[in-house]
Amino acid sequence: MKRVSLFTICFVIFIISWVFLEFVMGGVISKPIPSSVISMYMALILIAILVHVSVEDTRFREFLRPIHETLVDENRHVRRIVLAVLIPLLMLGYTYSNLAQKANPPGDPRDAHPSPPLELTYKDEVIGSMQTVENPHRHYEKDDPEKFKSHVENGRRVYYQNCFYCHGDHLDGQGHFADALNPLPANFQDPGIIPNFQESFFFWRISKGGPGLPASGTPWNSAMPIWEDHLTKEEIWDVILFLSDYTGYPYRTFGEGH
Amino acid sequence: MRRKNIVHLVLILGLLSVFNLTYAQDTSEVSEKGKEVYEESCAHCHGIEGQGDGSAAENLLPRPRDFTRGLYKIRSTESGQLPTDQDLFDIITIGMPGSSMPGWETSLSANDRWEVVSYIKTFYEGFIESETPPRQISLEGKIPYSEESVEIGKILYTQFACFECHGNLGRGDGTSAPTLQDEWGFKSWPANLTQSWNYRGGNNIDDIYKRFIGGIAGSAMPMFEDPAFGLTIEQSKRYNELDSKVEMTESEEEEYNQLDEKMSNAYEILDLMADGDATEEQKQIYDTAMKAFNVKSWHLANYVKSLSPEKRPEPAIGKNVLRSQYIASELPEMADTAWETLESSYFPLVGQIIVEPRQFNPTIDSVNVKSFYNDTEVVFLFTWDDRTHNTEVEEDEDIGTTFEDAIAIQFPVKVPKGPTDEKPYFLWGGRKAVYLWQWKASDADKVMELTAKGINNAGAQEVQGDIQAKSEYTDGQYKLWVKRALKTDDKKDLQLESGVFVPIAFSAWDGANGDVDTKRVISSWYSFVLEPVPSSRRFIYPPLVALLSFGLLVGLRQFVRQRNT
Repeated sequence: MKRVSLFTICFVIFIISWVFLEFVMGGVISKPIPSSVISMYMALILIAILVHVSVEDTRFREFLRPIHETLVDENRHVRRIVLAVLIPLLMLGYTYSNLAQKANPPGDPRDAHPSPPLELTYKDEVIGSMQTVENPHRHYEKDDPEKFKSHVENGRRVYYQNCFYCHGDHLDGQGHFADALNPLPANFQDPGIIPNFQESFFFWRISKGGPGLPASGTPWNSAMPIWEDHLTKEEIWDVILFLSDYTGYPYRTFGEGH
Repeated sequence: MRRKNIVHLVLILGLLSVFNLTYAQDTSEVSEKGKEVYEESCAHCHGIEGQGDGSAAENLLPRPRDFTRGLYKIRSTESGQLPTDQDLFDIITIGMPGSSMPGWETSLSANDRWEVVSYIKTFYEGFIESETPPRQISLEGKIPYSEESVEIGKILYTQFACFECHGNLGRGDGTSAPTLQDEWGFKSWPANLTQSWNYRGGNNIDDIYKRFIGGIAGSAMPMFEDPAFGLTIEQSKRYNELDSKVEMTESEEEEYNQLDEKMSNAYEILDLMADGDATEEQKQIYDTAMKAFNVKSWHLANYVKSLSPEKRPEPAIGKNVLRSQYIASELPEMADTAWETLESSYFPLVGQIIVEPRQFNPTIDSVNVKSFYNDTEVVFLFTWDDRTHNTEVEEDEDIGTTFEDAIAIQFPVKVPKGPTDEKPYFLWGGRKAVYLWQWKASDADKVMELTAKGINNAGAQEVQGDIQAKSEYTDGQYKLWVKRALKTDDKKDLQLESGVFVPIAFSAWDGANGDVDTKRVISSWYSFVLEPVPSSRRFIYPPLVALLSFGLLVGLRQFVRQRNT
């Protein structure tokens, strides 16, 4: 049996790597990978291959042998002609498809989490410092469980009268209005949401909504209403209790490092 | 190895018998677990007592089901029958598309869903009293989907008078649509059959067939409204033929009377069957009539299926983004066939629930858009379904107040310079202003230019530019054609340029659904582009590149050969 040449092995490795990135990583395992990232990986792989084959002189010569043969060997006439036609044709197709490509709409880069103001307010009333304000109904959890339960129930009422259209029956951000919105409504079942923020942060996001987001880190494009126009302070604190009660995730508390 | 398998089998059988035991108990006793899940996940809409009066109910239409009446819309069982447990389980699992009932497949375990089924059954005594299982609709004699069947179904659609509610083309725009109410006296809109993603009970042909046979309990959807009950399709066709004749021969008259008698006979037997007084012979006649009715229902189901795309179209983002096509000549008028060469871009709309008064129960699903441009102008064709044509504010004793239908197309005044340049607030602007085209049904061939810095801070521009508009309303659908110059002299207008992505958003008002002012349906920002004319470079560069690479190959060969010698 004829030995497979080093060049063929390298070529096959290169192709398999590309197929893996494009279709396996970017399809079966995860979401499609941007083409620029794939190009970067492929460049690294190419460099790795070249480094590998050029470490030793003999190996490098072995690697170049098929190329050399194809270019000049008398017995490789057919292969030479086929490649001489195929390579320019591929280049033609590639350049054409690149030039004919349609422009893509701009993406919407935005900060993952907006930074809150220093002071927490409800309408114009100052509640306190963002860092220190606590949910005034939270202490009932220990002091008066019955009363705590009634606050959670009130929060549930507020949620299903106002929030579930977008944030969903199951608090998973998949309400029946969600599909028309971009960015999508927050998913409170995501373990990265509630545990990462203090209750005061939630109070700020709920009471001021999309228009209350800071001028930096834009564009937000948030469709979140200014809920202080519709809800009382107590209702907002109660719905905050409900979110954590329903999902089972605790809010970040004070004193924890960032 | 074999012993291990036996152990597995015994374990599995043991587990199965345990499950069977628990299920057997659930049907007779109140399931504590079911109650717990119900109160945590369902009660806020359906109410603690199952009366459909939870805290969220008031803002929802269709209203959440009242479980105490035993009336279930979506069943696999015959008319007047209770649903099967599987029916209830399926609704909880899949949800009711187009309503606020979501599917619970991912959020409740199958076991929890079964527990809830047994719990909601306790709200209605009928479930406990009934000893025989509900009669299921037989799918026997299903007529496969075909063009011929769709054609027959189309004729039946007219004969059965489906159009009275669902409209000529199925957009739910029938003449009685505005007046329909459900069993509880709440507004009930007939389904828009061209939007199968909103069919409450699913959109496969079997689902549609079951709605005909079993009815949709509690809704205005009638059952057995077969004007030719007892006749086959051929016979009813013949009957209509004879009926329309000015003069009949003697034999024809006899045939006509026979068919007539057959029909009234069948209807009489229908009553007798309901009372259980039918003789064997009558039962046979009934069976034949029912078979014919089932055949008709299959054809009708196939026709309804043909009215809508299978899935909700993808929204106009990514590869579906709205691209205005360049043409070198005059832009097409509204009726031009050139429009048919373009794919629509689909913009889903939802209720505006940010500013009072709010719209929690939208009736306009979406707006579809196509566009062309040339060197000086751009033209858009906006299409959206609205069941009623309202051109003014009207007071009606039965329906209440209805308003004027309208639509507004929103752009920023200044196109953002890059992805990090902020767009105006999506709800008619804020710190940054938006530029709007507003059309109202009362002035069907006019579009006003508005500038807004907030939903309650909008006004018509003092200088109205030259915008041409035409519109029409037919069979439950609005079409609006708008043409404007790419560039204007007005600083408050949007200026358009080929190849630049421009944010676009919509507001629409269905006057019959109480939409007025801020109560409306909206979209968030999308974008569109005047698709650049493909440059001629694409015919020059590629051959050059090909030639160059060929030359390089030849050069490389020469180089290697020289080195060898």
